Amino acid sequence: MNDKHQDLVQTMFPSDGSGIKPYEWMISPTRQRQWIDEKGIFLWLAFFFSEIGAGLYFMSLFYSYKPGLVLGWLITLVLGGVIHMLYLGNPKRAWRMIMKPNTSELSRGIWIIGIFAAMGFLQMVTPGGFNAVFNVIMGILCLLIISHGFATMNVIKALPAWNSTIVLPLSIISGIWVGHQLLQLMFALSGNAAVVSGMEVWAAAFFLIYFLCMLLYAWGTWHSSETAKASVKRMMAGELKQITHVGVGVLAILVPLILTLIMWGGSTNGFLIFLRLVSVCAGDLAIRYLIMKSAVYRPLI
Amino acid sequence: MPRWGMVIDVKRCIACWGCTIACKEEHFLPPGVFFNRVLIGESGKFPTSSKLIYPILCNHCSDAACVEACPTGATYVREDGIVAIDDEKCVGCRACMVSCPYQQRTYYDENVTKREYFPGQGKTEMEIIGEKLYPFKLGTVIKCNFCSERLEDGMKKGLTPGKDEDASPACVNICPVGARIFGDLDDPSSEINRLIMEKKGKQLRKEFGTEPAVYYID
Repeated sequence: MNDKHQDLVQTMFPSDGSGIKPYEWMISPTRQRQWIDEKGIFLWLAFFFSEIGAGLYFMSLFYSYKPGLVLGWLITLVLGGVIHMLYLGNPKRAWRMIMKPNTSELSRGIWIIGIFAAMGFLQMVTPGGFNAVFNVIMGILCLLIISHGFATMNVIKALPAWNSTIVLPLSIISGIWVGHQLLQLMFALSGNAAVVSGMEVWAAAFFLIYFLCMLLYAWGTWHSSETAKASVKRMMAGELKQITHVGVGVLAILVPLILTLIMWGGSTNGFLIFLRLVSVCAGDLAIRYLIMKSAVYRPLI
Repeated sequence: MPRWGMVIDVKRCIACWGCTIACKEEHFLPPGVFFNRVLIGESGKFPTSSKLIYPILCNHCSDAACVEACPTGATYVREDGIVAIDDEKCVGCRACMVSCPYQQRTYYDENVTKREYFPGQGKTEMEIIGEKLYPFKLGTVIKCNFCSERLEDGMKKGLTPGKDEDASPACVNICPVGARIFGDLDDPSSEINRLIMEKKGKQLRKEFGTEPAVYYID
């Protein structure tokens, strides 16, 4: 077998255990690849940036904090949008994605992002933009964008690990949690100690809800079907276990828990907030990666 | 207007992979791309285990998950029930591939086109001709189309799909044991409707609610 042939076989059926043998395809639970492998990795990043940008925008609404709005708006549209385009095979035709909002979650997402871009811009340039009407509309749009990535995955019935009821609450709370952390760091950098300290109460609450949603997702997926259980097993014992242990166990749960306990009662510190933000972002990326990477299709026979 | 469908008799199938090869030949499919596959598995435990042989292809579902997921309308159900892809509209988002419970779609990109049937020796004349005769668009999704070109050409000549070879899918023509029967699901007197009724034809993974047009009998 020459090198090229080996490359082909390696591409189709990797020997590192991440793949399956040719004769096992759709006979044993078969992993989805399109939305995480190769260029699919862009989608993972695009969903993440859209989510944290919208999360930051959402939290900034409660504090009427314009720099937060601007940064959130830019992260969602520039980082999220550009990375989405990098993923597409034919990005020049991307405008066509507005065509099917009645059935396609992707199409609905494009509409929501378009409205968010226009309304967000209007809110930022309008004097007195933090009025109740703008805030409610933008708040709803932010929540829709935060949940858009997981909503796109959630509607796919063929992948039981994604078709779980807790996927949407998990995505919403993770967006709010990361957005909150970003905003808290922005306030810390601007020297607004009183607000930073006050935000710590919400940090503890969001972290607790986030942690519960993660537990509920794992528990619900494990008990929903044999195929969904196979996804959880892949996270816990397969080739993804290191990401689960380090990414979720340490970065998403343990480090934020310790730092939140240290800052309990509002005794905040700029460096610790920065440290927690880095850990929370890495943890959130790990959770998204695991959910996307571990999803398997139900065997056909 | 007919609604095309297929019946596959799994008791007749001998897993010769003739359908897989005929399909690759018909559509000049590059290495690693299959519109037709044969799944071989087992059910039960020894000594009462039995072997399962399931030839699979796009199910041309009437309530297709891929059609719902497609954000551009590139994937659509034709009037004759064939699920087709308009490669001019496809943006390559692969939502259809992820949502298909049967995993019958392939993303056609540089990774696919660079493959050679004889790696390291360059593309054969057959492969080069194939790329010209049956071109796929880069960055789009491809899949089985029930050999719609054969069906249309044949019908223009007055032939009947499912009966005349020149108007039937390649996988149906090649099957040496006649395990594949092609025909009109909307015609109550068609052979496939008779088989579905008499032998209680089953759709694969019916629980997904996609209403496949491919039925299995045994």
